[in-house]
Amino acid sequence: MSEPIDPRPATDAETPSSPSPSPPAGRWSGGGGGGSALLHILELLPALVPLAIIVIVLVAMVGTTRGVPFSVLDFLGSSWLVQPPGVAGSSYGVSTFIVGSLVTSLPALLLAMLIALGVAIASVVYLPRIATRFLDPFVDLLAGIPSIVFGLWAFIILRPYFQQSLTPWMAANLGFLPGFAGPVSPTGLGIPITVFILTLMILPISTLLIRDTLRAVPRELWESGLALGATRWEVTRRVSLRYGSRGISSAALLGFSRAIGEAVAVSFLIGGATNFPTNVYSTTNTLSALIIENLDSSFVNPQEFAALAEVGILLTAITLTVNIIARRFVMQLGVHETVV
Amino acid sequence: MAPVGLADLAQARRRFARWNLGFDRYIGYLLPLLFIVAIVPILDMVYWLGAEALPTMTWATLTTGGPTQPLGLFPAIAGTVWIMVIALALAVTLGLFGGIATAEFLSERSAAWVRMTANTLAGMPAIIIGMMGFVVFVLYFGWGLVLIAGAVTTAFFMTPYVFRAADLAFSSVPRTIREAALGAGARPIDYILRVARPIVTPQILNGIFLALGLGIGETATVIVTVQPSALAPTGPFSYASYLTYVIYAEYTSPLPADVTLAFQAAFLLLMIVIVINIIVRIVAWRYQTRLAGLFV
Amino acid sequence: MALPDETRGAVRMSAPPPISNDGTVLATRGLGVRARQHAILTDITIDFPPRSLTAIIGPSGCGKTTFVRTLNRMTETSPGLSVSGEVFYLGQNIYARGINPVLVRRRIGMVFQRPTVFPMSVFENVAFGLRLEHEPADVVEEEVQRSLERSGLWEEVKNRLDKPALSLSGGQQQRLCIARALAVRPRVLLLDEATSSLDPASTQRVEATLEELSHEITIILVTHNVAQAARASDRTAYFYQGRLIEVGPTEELFERPKEKLTEEYITGRFG
Repeated sequence: MSEPIDPRPATDAETPSSPSPSPPAGRWSGGGGGGSALLHILELLPALVPLAIIVIVLVAMVGTTRGVPFSVLDFLGSSWLVQPPGVAGSSYGVSTFIVGSLVTSLPALLLAMLIALGVAIASVVYLPRIATRFLDPFVDLLAGIPSIVFGLWAFIILRPYFQQSLTPWMAANLGFLPGFAGPVSPTGLGIPITVFILTLMILPISTLLIRDTLRAVPRELWESGLALGATRWEVTRRVSLRYGSRGISSAALLGFSRAIGEAVAVSFLIGGATNFPTNVYSTTNTLSALIIENLDSSFVNPQEFAALAEVGILLTAITLTVNIIARRFVMQLGVHETVV
Repeated sequence: MAPVGLADLAQARRRFARWNLGFDRYIGYLLPLLFIVAIVPILDMVYWLGAEALPTMTWATLTTGGPTQPLGLFPAIAGTVWIMVIALALAVTLGLFGGIATAEFLSERSAAWVRMTANTLAGMPAIIIGMMGFVVFVLYFGWGLVLIAGAVTTAFFMTPYVFRAADLAFSSVPRTIREAALGAGARPIDYILRVARPIVTPQILNGIFLALGLGIGETATVIVTVQPSALAPTGPFSYASYLTYVIYAEYTSPLPADVTLAFQAAFLLLMIVIVINIIVRIVAWRYQTRLAGLFV
Repeated sequence: MALPDETRGAVRMSAPPPISNDGTVLATRGLGVRARQHAILTDITIDFPPRSLTAIIGPSGCGKTTFVRTLNRMTETSPGLSVSGEVFYLGQNIYARGINPVLVRRRIGMVFQRPTVFPMSVFENVAFGLRLEHEPADVVEEEVQRSLERSGLWEEVKNRLDKPALSLSGGQQQRLCIARALAVRPRVLLLDEATSSLDPASTQRVEATLEELSHEITIILVTHNVAQAARASDRTAYFYQGRLIEVGPTEELFERPKEKLTEEYITGRFG
């Protein structure tokens, strides 16, 4: 009874043969004597491009809010009501949308991580090399599918199914769970279909990252586990997952940031309502979808425009924080870092 | 006489160990099934895209379109091409220069910081970059909702991917080669253009293609910065349609023909992404074989 | 100093003795390992008596690492290797159909060349094998202490059991790996160049530990250090180009080697 227990090292066609990039020996800076200070600066300046872009983004958003009164309390209120300019009674409370963002992103993240873990473990530990040679590139391909394509397919093809079959079934059979009873969305739009699509969207990239993490477990560590009489599952669970816990956490955070930042597909599917979700089938809206739906039209209303900029700042703050934490965890710069 | 070893091994199998061994085997069959969970919906999607798009898709669909022939994709294709050419040119310039500067001219500490900014930028939602594009290019610069605004915005979105690819590529050049170039008295520009270029080209090409794929499929950066037009664009400052816009506009249309158009645009997008992915894979494969002996 | 370019016959035995249950703990008969078309090991027949320390020596590439890996079926983790012949553990062929390698490895433990402590505390590392068997907490504690004592590490870590194992020095980590392997009470312990990455002081400690352990269990130590084989083992086996050239009590093999190849290797003519 022999088993293919070998966890394949990262020998994808995409991985360059060299190990993780070593800092170039003898950087040119300081060398090439006689270079003018201007030349020196010109050499270094392009490296600031990403930072420059980030700064422009932040300045743009903050600048838009300048001059418009802002109250944290109102901002965190739950009613978003836009009156035409000049008419009183507008309120710009975003708590509905915060909840909407969370209630779509978090379940999607959970589902995607569970499936991604399973698929990654299958790929690294259990499947024979022949299978992974086809399946791995396939998953890589899936990561590049534009989100709007998902949105279209879901809206036209899936929605009737959610509308007529799935959500009524859920309400009827899972009604005992809190929030699962009660009126189903008549259009099939709303939280369930959005969660479904978001899960599909972050699944491939999460699988990639977890797969890279598991492959980075040193071979000797894996063998030591096996040599103690553990099964593959036990070594994976007790050793590999622990060793790769940071990489997996970072994959989760990146997936979350992707889900919460997704605007287009969500705007197709979430229903665009401004009401607080009342149950799991509700239509509502998210921070990102709100922006994409209203940005152009809000230009004529400075208050609304500024409010949207504030929403943008909030969304940026959330994703930046999550991203920075995630990146600190990343242990090894695998090839897939270029994709995320 | 029965081998003692057999009894001894059997003793090693305690109460649940049998369960453990079985579990390991079954989970080995079960987990790969999750692949199906992941793949089936996507296959379904591809099937439907094809089923809706292909029956009525002809060469005319791709080459006509406009106010008089609304069911053609040509204006959208033209618009996408215009936008992507500008965006790619800008993104590659910014990304290449930035990535090379980071890999070659920065101290390790500064490089780490810069890499963090690039990663942060890559993590920003596209809609946020779109909002920046609207505020800065459409409003502040006063360009209006023209295609170059969308192009530059998309370029900013694509830059970090090219940046990272260039950075990684140049950082991966083996020390020995770099030192040899230094020792032979090469100036940085010589090293980059002559010595490193053949080594880094495949990886950078991959990054560029990757960025291209992301840029073509991204909606949020263009939808808020570009006013759609029914005609093919005439210049960088005209309005334009683009493939993702077709989908965005028509998906709720009550007319089946319009919806079919949306599917056709989506199908086209999908094909482009697949082709790009295949190209990336081929380039990576040839890179692997060509450089196998280099990293001894 | 030319290398001999032809291997002379393997160890000659009149007839392989039957495996009895009172003598050998581990034995191989006609063991061979192939990778694709290339033979790594050919026709290895050797016995390992209980309560002994056998050193396996030979030049690089002679197959000694592959050999020990066949003894606990670790060769199965490398795709493309095929094993022929038999390996008998207490009379039972471990390669027989129906024998699960996981169980084999609970009886025949292995320590690798570099310390491979898990990213857990010292205690949890040693307890790893016991946790697999879901032993109750008091048994686990007792066995962990016992293993650490047997590997000579207890005094040094008894106050640091909860600290990460990675905080230990290299030599301590390797002894921790030995303790970890011992915790499941194997009858055989395989060591694949286990002291190669250690400094002399740690090496000496490990050798002392192994010497004591060899009074209780069977130890097989692969080493490229001939001097280590000479000083630490009871029996020595010399491998060359995938064949077992000679095996016997250490003193005999070193002072009166039967085969010319053996003599050339141990006198440093090549290696």
